[in-house]
Amino acid sequence: MSTQFEMLDLLLVSPAIALFLASLIPLAIKVLRGNTESNSVATIMYGLVGVVTAMVLTLANYGIDKVAFQGALRFDGLSFWMQMVVLVVAAVTLILSRDNPATNNRLFSEYVFLLLNSLVGMMIVAWSNDLMSLFIGIETMSLCLYILIALSSEPRKSKEAAFKYFVLGSFASAIMLYGISFIYGTVGSTYIQDITQVSIQLMNTNRLFLFGVVLTILGLCFKVSVFPFHSWTPDVYQGAPTPLTAFMSTGVKAVSLAFFLRFIAMEVIVSERAILLMNALEWLAAFTILAGNIAAIMQDNLKRMLAYSSVAHSGYVMMGILAAGVGGESILGASGVVFYIVAYTIMTLGAFGILVLFEKRAESSLEVSDLSGLGARNPWAAACITIFMLSLAGIPPTVGFFGKLFIFSAAVKQGFFWLAVWGVIGSVISVYYYLRPIVTMYMQNDEGASVLQTKGLTRLAISVLAISVIVFGFIAESIYSTVTSDLASLFF
Amino acid sequence: MLLSLLIFLPLVYALIVMALPARFSRPVSLALSGLHFVFSLVLLARFDVTTADLQFVEQMDWVKSFGISYFVGIDGISLWLVMLTTFLTPLTILGSWTAITDKVKGFHVAMLALEATMIGTFLAMDAVLFYVFFEASLIPMYFMIGIWGGARRIYATVKFFIYTMFGSLFMLVALIALMFMTQEMLGGQMSASILDFYKLEIPFVAGQFLNSQTLLFFAFALAFAIKVPMFPFHTWLPDAHVEAPTPGSVILAGVMLKMGTYGFMRLGLPLFPEAVEYWSWLFMLLAVVGIIYGALVAMVQPDIKKLVAYSSVSHMGYVVLGLFAFNAYGLTGGLYQMLNHGISTGALFLMVGMIYERTHSREISQYGGLAKAAPWYTILFVIVTMSSIAVPMTNGFIGEFLILLGGFEANPIFGAMAVLGVVLGASYMLWMVKRVFFGGEGEIVTKYKSAGLDLNIREAVVMAPLIVLIFWMGIFPNHFLRGSKASLEHLEKNMRTYELGIHNPSQKDQSEKYSMAEERGE
Repeated sequence: MSTQFEMLDLLLVSPAIALFLASLIPLAIKVLRGNTESNSVATIMYGLVGVVTAMVLTLANYGIDKVAFQGALRFDGLSFWMQMVVLVVAAVTLILSRDNPATNNRLFSEYVFLLLNSLVGMMIVAWSNDLMSLFIGIETMSLCLYILIALSSEPRKSKEAAFKYFVLGSFASAIMLYGISFIYGTVGSTYIQDITQVSIQLMNTNRLFLFGVVLTILGLCFKVSVFPFHSWTPDVYQGAPTPLTAFMSTGVKAVSLAFFLRFIAMEVIVSERAILLMNALEWLAAFTILAGNIAAIMQDNLKRMLAYSSVAHSGYVMMGILAAGVGGESILGASGVVFYIVAYTIMTLGAFGILVLFEKRAESSLEVSDLSGLGARNPWAAACITIFMLSLAGIPPTVGFFGKLFIFSAAVKQGFFWLAVWGVIGSVISVYYYLRPIVTMYMQNDEGASVLQTKGLTRLAISVLAISVIVFGFIAESIYSTVTSDLASLFF
Repeated sequence: MLLSLLIFLPLVYALIVMALPARFSRPVSLALSGLHFVFSLVLLARFDVTTADLQFVEQMDWVKSFGISYFVGIDGISLWLVMLTTFLTPLTILGSWTAITDKVKGFHVAMLALEATMIGTFLAMDAVLFYVFFEASLIPMYFMIGIWGGARRIYATVKFFIYTMFGSLFMLVALIALMFMTQEMLGGQMSASILDFYKLEIPFVAGQFLNSQTLLFFAFALAFAIKVPMFPFHTWLPDAHVEAPTPGSVILAGVMLKMGTYGFMRLGLPLFPEAVEYWSWLFMLLAVVGIIYGALVAMVQPDIKKLVAYSSVSHMGYVVLGLFAFNAYGLTGGLYQMLNHGISTGALFLMVGMIYERTHSREISQYGGLAKAAPWYTILFVIVTMSSIAVPMTNGFIGEFLILLGGFEANPIFGAMAVLGVVLGASYMLWMVKRVFFGGEGEIVTKYKSAGLDLNIREAVVMAPLIVLIFWMGIFPNHFLRGSKASLEHLEKNMRTYELGIHNPSQKDQSEKYSMAEERGE
């Protein structure tokens, strides 16, 4: 195999290169200044410069459909959207991290370095058109995250979270790698386009291929916290510093779900032999929705509640992914998934982000009851939380409603009628816990313990997100139709 | 533009109220909502009563790939419900002048936002737009009960929200399924327009539950049955009503419950004719059970407000009975009873609120002999009671009589059972009146007598239009019914093949406007 590559390939991956170079700046400055931390605003500025550069380069590549590095990476509509999502997530995370005592400590330059490199990993996952580059992307992303979580100034829970995430994450990666090796053994290639050509036929004839596919899907299920592989999520999300929780619950999930979509778009679950696999995935989606929502009801800690809610949201996206995987009008499912990821990212980022404002010390954690009386004390924060919660619950006319509408539509159209009903039941359950903070803020008058920090940048970012939740609801159509036309090339 | 203004102006009003200092909230929102009522009278005057088609239609693409549009229009079915909304809102704001003392600005913003979403629900002719307004109306009501409500307000408001949301999400799935059916019918392009839904022929198998028409019908029916609420989905209602502040109860009973019955008329009946015909016995049965059950439970309530709340269950049962009887009498009576219930139950809740403001008690046993202490209040209360128990000359009589006629025509047994409900209705209301207003002086009356229990001028002004309407609607029902006649006849005659056209206003020679009839003194 030749190892040459063209100039164009480098142009295509230029966002990642820009991010990597930007990530070196704060680290270099710190070394040159004799290991003293420089101003944290300057540090995140270097990061933001990298993110904005990457964004510009991504936009410059909009509308193409090309493969690079002999087909290992693919630059199409799906990867474009995921790049934009993770870049926005990274920009907000940088701002949140600066304003959070758990992350803004004497290792902040290293933190920014790792965050940007985790982002590079996410970009690779978003691009990957090859199971090996997927694995490299996932590992780059995850390894940086393990360290990032452990860097928190909070002494106990974050270390536990980092370790749990590391052990279970490695376990899942190993399972996935095992699966990939079976796929390689039966197909003779790890490239998606090679597997696609033979997948339906192999699925019917070769049990080892089926085995490989199942194991790879299990690994992906772990990454996107699908039931019953979700049990790490609440612990890790709660223990990690809040900005990183926002980063993981949106960025990691978005790219992993996107790859899941790419994998399922190979029509690996279309054939007759795969009926069982498809049914199993259907049940996993239904159980994910129920397990996430039911467990979230019982949580008093806001971060843990949102962690469980993010499990439930994975279930909704799984509905869309299944709808994209059964042939026919798969494009409905795929665009539903991408739209939902965009919607979910905005609202989850905002919901976790606003928690940062309540954290005065690294150990702070916010209970629902702490919010009481916030509606009178700080109308801005209460209004933002209300908007995010209503959107997460899928109440019109927020963007969350349209996300659910598109996903449910795809599911109904593709014949997953009962799955849609389960989704509906889950949504009803979710309304209960999404309303709890609103009830506490506006309807209970006693003074809660929550104190809002005055962090200008974070407030600005949250306000922008809250406004986007409403605005994106009204321009849902233009986003959705753009996504649909961008994704047309996903299905062969 | 007319209908869009009707929907969105209240939101503009809400923004104005939000921008002004709190001391202006009450007068400004009263003036603006009053103005809005006058504005809706313009609509009434320009409404063409001869046609069953949609009028003042506005259509604009919204989510084009799913065929969802911003599509509003009005016909005889929605006309009076819109008028009811714009009519009750200023009265409620005036009625709550002294009842709401906390967070006054927020309350009026919620009230005006609620008005916008309720009008939107009645005017939306796109199924998804309808769903959006239907759901969005929950949010202001949720805050209204939760912030300004009584002691158990949080339990009540969360129950109300989740219960309603539960039903309507099933409706959402059914809506999506219908949208894909239009795609097959229209050859590729999806549509969420209710007019396109009417053209669908949804496969139906009698005697089976698992066929598309039956399933879709029940998904819609669940949403509306919870909203109405029909027995056995009514349990949220007493909680919500008892805990809601007076204006919340008035709007909830007066308008929001009608969204359910309106939904049956707009979507449930015309979309699924075979399923409706096959399953109408079930709905009529539940309606009759609701009528009798509601009346019996109301009878034993120790709390006036709870009594009125259960009477709502009973009265809304009549509406459902009328609709599912599906003949000219039943439909007309059903629609009329929606308006009656809005006015008489709205008035009852207002009056209960007025006395509660003075005595802070709603326990029937603590009252007695109120007639002497508050004669004007008593007179008005008795008039409203008469309307509620359907005494001739009041609006309630026309509605219930038509429904009973329709009920007998459709099924004599259910008709007879509903008549039993009328008797029970009269007995619990009159018994309550007896215990509260007559007999020996109750402890609470003695305690507050010196402070003055009778109506003040503001309250008299609130009640006057309601009392006038009670008699007007009772004596001249045609003034109101002629607006809906064409639409109701159209619905009744074309049950199997119901379709709605869009009115073309250029054919002026045929049209007959509401204003003309009034000039003729009809």
